[in-house]
Amino acid sequence: MNSDYQYLVGELQHVLATDQRVNMLDIKVIVRNGKIYLIGQVPTEQRRNAVEGVVLELLPGAEVRNELTVLEIKTPRQPENIHD
Amino acid sequence: MIKIAAIADVHFSEDSRGRFRAHWSGLHEVADILLIGGDLTTHGAANQAAVLAQELEVVKIPIIAVLGNHDYHAGQEDKVRSELERKGIAVLEGEHAIFTVNGKTVGIAGTKGFGGGFAGACGSAFGEPEMKSFIYYTEQLAMQLEESLRVMQADYRIALLHYSPVKETLAGERLEIYPFLGSYLLAEAIDTAGADLVVHGHAHHGAEKGRTARGIPVRNVALPLLGCAYALYNLEKFNQVSHQPSNPAIIYPID
Repeated sequence: MNSDYQYLVGELQHVLATDQRVNMLDIKVIVRNGKIYLIGQVPTEQRRNAVEGVVLELLPGAEVRNELTVLEIKTPRQPENIHD
Repeated sequence: MIKIAAIADVHFSEDSRGRFRAHWSGLHEVADILLIGGDLTTHGAANQAAVLAQELEVVKIPIIAVLGNHDYHAGQEDKVRSELERKGIAVLEGEHAIFTVNGKTVGIAGTKGFGGGFAGACGSAFGEPEMKSFIYYTEQLAMQLEESLRVMQADYRIALLHYSPVKETLAGERLEIYPFLGSYLLAEAIDTAGADLVVHGHAHHGAEKGRTARGIPVRNVALPLLGCAYALYNLEKFNQVSHQPSNPAIIYPID
């Protein structure tokens, strides 16, 4: 596997999109100073762990900074009035 | 006035069970219909759709959905649709549904839509067969949407999509992926046939509000963007000609 930065990010984003344990297209992947940063929102804690697990399967022993947050579903806002 | 609840990109999987039940159980108190703008499942497995359909059992108002790109990934989109329809959820693709709410008719024309980009920076049906197929697909879905809207006679007319018809509701997404998030062809179809509101999803990091070129309000209701179980819109028309349904595709009267 090519470890050049852009290819590594591309491969990680590909596996995060296609692995059925994750299937997410909008996780931001940053590789800096030998560390892999995962940034974005996920629906559950299990998915958060799954994202890190998939990355480590591809890159065993990699230093992963899992900065994903779990989306907390808030109370809906007041209605917006739309008229012609 | 009709009260619309809308959400998209709920991305249900087996571990989503129970996440929304408490939020959705009181919907009938604040809304007349619930629209779901695609990406109903994580990767389009029928069992994921079954979990969503079960979660939606607490909703006591009509539910109308379109599929999203995630719902096609496993090649089971027909089964995804079936799991929802057998629980009474209307799933639209190039079709419309008409409901009666407080003596007024509400029509929803739905399509997933597809990409291609926006005027000035869009793909064209030129070159390789794969490129032409990409654009032809969007053109076909836009034509079907326009036809659905055109024949839909209702007091309130809503377009429900997954992909975005305008750039405004993509603001916040990276510019490089705009062609994969929507197409101006969808807005052109809507502006040609007319609508009172457009609702879509897909752009998790976009903006909520936009308008078509002719001023039709567009709302991005992707869950990661809204951060809540649904958005609420009170839709009112002061200049209104009453429409009784005429040869509609489906009618679901509200008791």
